[in-house]
This record gives sequence, structure tokens and C-alpha cells, in this order.
Amino acid sequence: MQDVNVVVVFFSRTGATEQLALAAAVGAVQGRANIRLRRLPDVADEATIAGNPQWKENRERMNKEYVAPRETDAAWADAIVIGIAAGTDNVSPEFGAYTGKIGAVFADGSGNHALRASMERAGLIVLPDERASDALTQARLLGRRAAEAARSRRATTSG
Amino acid sequence: MITIRRSNDRGHANPGWRNSWYSFSFADYHDAAHMGFRSLRVINEDTIAPGRGFGAHAHRDMEIITYILEGHLAHKDSMTERHVIGPNTIQAMSAGTGVVHSEFNASENEPVHLLQIWIEPAMEDAEPSYREISFAPEDKRSKLKLLAGPHGSDGNASAVIHQDAKVYASELRPGEAVNYSLGPGRFGWVQVARGGASINGQHLSQGDGAAISDERELTLAGNDPDGAEFLLFDLA
Repeated sequence: MQDVNVVVVFFSRTGATEQLALAAAVGAVQGRANIRLRRLPDVADEATIAGNPQWKENRERMNKEYVAPRETDAAWADAIVIGIAAGTDNVSPEFGAYTGKIGAVFADGSGNHALRASMERAGLIVLPDERASDALTQARLLGRRAAEAARSRRATTSG
Repeated sequence: MITIRRSNDRGHANPGWRNSWYSFSFADYHDAAHMGFRSLRVINEDTIAPGRGFGAHAHRDMEIITYILEGHLAHKDSMTERHVIGPNTIQAMSAGTGVVHSEFNASENEPVHLLQIWIEPAMEDAEPSYREISFAPEDKRSKLKLLAGPHGSDGNASAVIHQDAKVYASELRPGEAVNYSLGPGRFGWVQVARGGASINGQHLSQGDGAAISDERELTLAGNDPDGAEFLLFDLA
């Protein structure tokens, strides 16, 4: 079976999106992909983070457990799973808002399936809304699909 | 036949935050002559600096056993298991269809010294699972304590792994000995974790390993003024 690489990039303050990212990573591993988990660094100022003890505590823990995305990740990856909490914009306002909305639409099932399919074909997959009751299952399936789609793309391009 | 793998011949890595010795090929250390022994794929001896560790990473289809010699290790995984383990407790994780986990030194002051063991499972796609087995220090003193084995080996007193392999730990005083019989067609591996031991008269120092084939009766003895602590693997 051909090796495929999946990068799961996420941003999480208190650990909820981290759980989705972990589930997506497990899904990718189930799909027999190599994975890298990357947490986007916080852009909020220290005072803001310190004002939320849960954020501060989890940030310290997550900074130990995950490194930030590296330039070499993009060259390594066959697929990138983007994990940013739906409806939030705490990474960069434009990017976060956009991906957050996509995630929310995917999560409630009303999303544009063609858009979703084309994003998956392109190797960009957005995690579901963490508020959905089956969010972890969805995230795992997304991760698995990311691996399988990447493998199928590899087979097509190298064939 | 007993083939000794000397401590200093092992692969070595020291990126600053950990000092690791690899009995078999691992990560950037690759030696085609040392890819494992039977189903035993990895024995890494790691000393990890306070507060440091292995960030989130994934495994699939591997039985992973951690044996702590000194200090404490904090474990966290995608099965929502969060634990801190120390000496006289083993952690056994079946990665099966896929697990993401991290392992960190739980102390901000003391290093953690451990053996990390990987055994290739006999089956693919097992349900991922995590087990911790704690035992009294006396359980391994002057005798062999079964840490892990296939289903039905020892009730709940040892971890279940998806392979026809048994892992024992023992601590022997100087001159003290234990005997072990390998079944027909079975193989063994001995890894000395501390002190010095002898196996059928051959001396093993701390960090040495011994591959055993075509031998049935083993006599393992404490062969150092401080005695010996070692792991014994009974392999198909």
C-alpha cells in the first residue's frame, strides 16, 4: 500500500478542538497514513490568555505536546486537515471566520457537498463543529477520508 | 545459542532532552543486522529530562510496553487515557487500528529512565486498548514476574498483548538465580536493565541484551555486587 502523509493543523484554546484534531489524526492513521499533528501558535496577547485560566493551562500543556506547523510540513503532506473551532476567528480573522463557517455548515449537514468534495479532493479538509453530538466520529471519518483520498490522488498522479 | 548485543554497540541518540539507546533499528538509527528479534521490534532505553518528552504522535498495529526504572512518566492518548506511571507499574498499549499519544516526564525536577518495548502483533486492526499493571516490588524479587502475555496468560495480573510472546521482569541479588524453560521451538531475549546478570554462565552488563535460540533451559543469575534487574522475553 502506498505511503501517504496527512498533516492535521489545528488551533485550540481549551482543548475541545484539540480532541477533534486527535480524532481526525486517529482516522488518518486508521486509513494507514503517516501523520503530523501541528498546533497553530496563539496570537492573542498574554493578558487575554492569562484572563482565561483554562486557556492558559491548556496552552502550556499543548505547547509541550505539539509543535507549530513547519514549512516542510506542506511539502511532506498529501492532505492537510484544518482544525479550527467552527464559528470562531481566533487565528486570523479572515481565515478563521471562513473556515469556521465552512465547518459549521458541514457539521449540520446543510453544506454544499460539491464544495466539500472539491476541498477533499484538493487535500484540504475542515473539521466539524465541536458542538455536534457526533463531532468526534465525524472528525475520525474526515481524517480517514483524507488519508484515503490522498492515496487515491497519489495513485492517479503516479500512474 | 546465545548471541550477546553489547550495550555500547546499540544505536544512540542524544538530542539534548533525552539520552536514548536503541537495541534495534529505530528512528534515524538504521542497521539492517539489527531490525528486531522474532516479534520483538524495539527495545529503547530512554532517559528523559525533567518536563520533556515525546509530543503527540501516532502508532498502528503495535504492542507498546513501557517499563519505568526510575522517575515518573505522564501518558495521554486519543482514547482519553491520562495517567502517570512509575516503577513497578507497566503500561501496555495495543495501537491496533490507530492511537495518537504523548509521553512526558511527569517531573519538573527529576529525569525519568525507562525501557520502551515494541512487539509486533500477530493480527492487524485490533481494537486499540490501554492497560496498566501495578505490582509489589517483591513480586519480581528473586523470581520472574509476568508483565505481559497473550490472552489467558495470567488473568488480570499481566497485560494482554496480541502476540504469542511473554514478557517477564526480575530482580536478583548477587549470586541468586532463577531458572526458565523455553518451550520447543521458542526463542528468548534477555535485556539487562540494571546491574549485571549471567545467562547460562555468560555475563551481561547493564544495557546488554542476549538473543537466545536453540536453548531450552536458562539459568539467570545476579552477577554484580548490586545484583541485577532484567527483562526476559519468551518469543515464538
